[in-house]
Amino acid sequence: MTKRLICAAALAAMAGAGAVQAEEIRVLNWQGYGTDLDWAVEAFTEETGHTVVHEYFNSEQEMLTKLRTNPGAYDVVLINAAFTPQAQEEGLIAPIDKEKIENLADVPADMAENQDLNADGELYGVPWTWGLTAYAFNTQAFEEAPTSVEVFWDEAHEGRVSIRDDALEAVQFAAIATGQDINDISDMEAIEAKLTELMPQIKTYWGSENDWNQFMAAGELDVATYWSGSASRSIASGLPVQFVVPEEGAVGWLDGLSIPESSTKMDAAHAFIDWMIDPEFYVKWADEGAPASANAKAAEALPEDAFNRQVLGDPEVVARVQFQRPVSDEDREAYLALWQKLKAAQ
Amino acid sequence: MLARLGKVWLGLILVFLYAPILVMAAMSFNASPYYQLPFEFTVEWYEKLSENRGILRAAARSVGIAMVTTVIATVLGTAASLALFRYEFRGKAVLRVLLFPPIAIPWLITGTAMLVFFFGIGLGRGTPAVIVGHVALALPYVIVVVTARLATFDPTLEEAARVLGAGGWTVTRRVTLPWIAPGIIAGALFAFAISFDQFVVSYFLSEPGDSTLPVVIYTAIRKGFTPEINAVSTLIIVVSMAVMLVAARFSNFGGER
Amino acid sequence: MAGGTAISGARAGLIALLSPAYLWLTAAIFLPLSAMLFFSLVTELPFGGAEWAFTLENYRAFFETPTYATLLWKSVRLGLIVTVVCLLVGFPCAYVLAKAIRGRAREALFLLVILPFWSNSLVRIFSWAIVLRGNGVLDLGLNALLPFEVDVSLMFTTHAIVIGLVHSYLPYVILTSYLALQAIDDNLIDAARSMGAGKPTILWRLVLPLSLPGLVAGAVLIFVPVVGAFMEPRILGGRVGTYYGTVIEDQFVAVYNWPLGAALSFILLAVVLFILAVASPMLKRAQA
Repeated sequence: MTKRLICAAALAAMAGAGAVQAEEIRVLNWQGYGTDLDWAVEAFTEETGHTVVHEYFNSEQEMLTKLRTNPGAYDVVLINAAFTPQAQEEGLIAPIDKEKIENLADVPADMAENQDLNADGELYGVPWTWGLTAYAFNTQAFEEAPTSVEVFWDEAHEGRVSIRDDALEAVQFAAIATGQDINDISDMEAIEAKLTELMPQIKTYWGSENDWNQFMAAGELDVATYWSGSASRSIASGLPVQFVVPEEGAVGWLDGLSIPESSTKMDAAHAFIDWMIDPEFYVKWADEGAPASANAKAAEALPEDAFNRQVLGDPEVVARVQFQRPVSDEDREAYLALWQKLKAAQ
Repeated sequence: MLARLGKVWLGLILVFLYAPILVMAAMSFNASPYYQLPFEFTVEWYEKLSENRGILRAAARSVGIAMVTTVIATVLGTAASLALFRYEFRGKAVLRVLLFPPIAIPWLITGTAMLVFFFGIGLGRGTPAVIVGHVALALPYVIVVVTARLATFDPTLEEAARVLGAGGWTVTRRVTLPWIAPGIIAGALFAFAISFDQFVVSYFLSEPGDSTLPVVIYTAIRKGFTPEINAVSTLIIVVSMAVMLVAARFSNFGGER
Repeated sequence: MAGGTAISGARAGLIALLSPAYLWLTAAIFLPLSAMLFFSLVTELPFGGAEWAFTLENYRAFFETPTYATLLWKSVRLGLIVTVVCLLVGFPCAYVLAKAIRGRAREALFLLVILPFWSNSLVRIFSWAIVLRGNGVLDLGLNALLPFEVDVSLMFTTHAIVIGLVHSYLPYVILTSYLALQAIDDNLIDAARSMGAGKPTILWRLVLPLSLPGLVAGAVLIFVPVVGAFMEPRILGGRVGTYYGTVIEDQFVAVYNWPLGAALSFILLAVVLFILAVASPMLKRAQA
């Protein structure tokens, strides 16, 4: 009798310690952004038994709204580091248990200790990927790579340029063009003047990677602002474009994976995040076109000629990057008002 | 002469209405993933589609939801139109005006409002919530269309039938409904179209993993929208066209007397 | 006594027919929109214990920021243009369908008119982009047909926006006009003709007034949503595609300012209702 009890207790303890119970975790991310690759999800399910369901958002505001209104619905969420402090202050996300993420050891300190991902000595977002917002040009339209953002204002390309329809990106792009700190813009008048001059040059605004590819493929554009990860995908798919980090500098961003406070599947969520920063996952993803990995081992594992090694691995390039910090609501609304005013005048 | 000119005009308009549909179908057979011209034939996108369970499942869900929405919205909308037509009562003008907010206010705002409200009252999300939303968005269209048809109906016909001894339901079934049948059909077709193309409400109110076709399409544009979407849209149009033409062959709803 | 039952019977009938639809609308639209109306009157969204107070600031913003009024006027103009084009193009179609085509062909055409509607609007807009852009289907097609070179690139112009919107909304006006036209008794037209009325007179004095309910329903179903449109203008209009709907959308997507977005939406609603209210007595007079 006693023996049998001990046996049962031992079994129960083993089950608890091994956490072999298969769970379904829900991931909130942009569509087609790494976490939902079929082979990656299948490999994860095979390894851990947990299944993965995705839900997508189309803007950071929407992601926050979903977290606020659907408590308990998500277990892993992708949050740009510039939004992590807000999510943390609103109590939407839980601190990460660093013990449970083995690959975290390979994330360099400047990322792992990023001031926006950490609060009160706790980590709230595991650095996952980073990239740049700069521009790419159509190689058929230029003899030589345009290395200065001034190409956007060059009359030779009037009606052949595009920037993203996004107030923050537009303002930060103009900040770089006017030599200002993107996180502490002092001269809004210069920004407005610079953007006003830019407007007649623009053919259309782009909204998504899909727009960008189609406009470029149709030969409508010579040069357009772009994201490094998307550029690597467009190049991989055969578009005649090249990505440039201009001499004036570029905007850098860092994406982290977080766990909602309301998640009930913490173990599975940690396991998934661990897999997401695993070099094995990253190398395969980079083949299809991916942003740069936050994991140093993963970055080293790339082939010499990989886009992310060539363009983003250059320390001189990295020195020109200004990383995005959180933007206050007031600034965000002021940028939007400016951007709307400029667009409405067209 | 004028009649022939009119038919030519109708033909031209049909060309205009189908031009993008034909382009959409052509691009589903074009090799370039970015819709580049010149055209290069392939069935690659159909092959990819046949393996893409996500899109196929979403398409099936969309059709199902649209059918349920159509039935509910058409029945409720027709009933409400009859009431607005038959009865004089205080507040009727207000009820008519109330049909406009859901049409005028962009669906993004209405959808956001539904999201907040449905969570507030505990309906949460899932297929029932999606259908509740779709029906509500389709209802005003059904009511406006059926009411427009009813405006041409002579109410003395109903009275005559009543004088002849017909009961209320018989009058409706034998006199009124046959007259407004083209309006009901048009309303139902619009209701289906609205539900089938409805993005915002499905997007906010679907359970993760249970998305509808428009949601798949809208979220796909961020990353790249492959001609698989053209392929599935083409298949849907072809199947609907076949179903509709069969329906037209065996029924009489154009109002032919 | 009998009269009393008839009235309460009528009342029961009214309630039975009317209440399901309106209760549904109340639960799914009116109450949620009331919540939005409330949001438009507060300083902060009352979620998560945020501090809020009543304010008219969001409505004042509309009057203090010229951008909004400029864009609203631009949107109203677009709505009017699209509506008028749809009416001019669609009414003759409906007339032919109702009066010149008989038998099964009519049912088939009726359905064919609405079928393009059963495709995804975004896919349709992208298809228009392929047609209208430089080096697009229209450009290549015209150059293949014409003996001389033409350069057709309508993409990213207001024309492209109007074409895309007319395409999206034309079936409404064709079908609603058809519903009204088909109901006109042919004998009435014959009678007028035998009394010596010419074609313009018949059209102007008989057909148009009788089909007015259909035309009005179609016009309303076009004008009202087009004023708030932002998807078609953005994709087809490019740089010139910023409309009032765009700035509303931005308040929900780019910044988290629902109160302002909601206020802008209700101003849109008020303006639309005002326009309909001004138009309705004129239409009544035309019909009389």
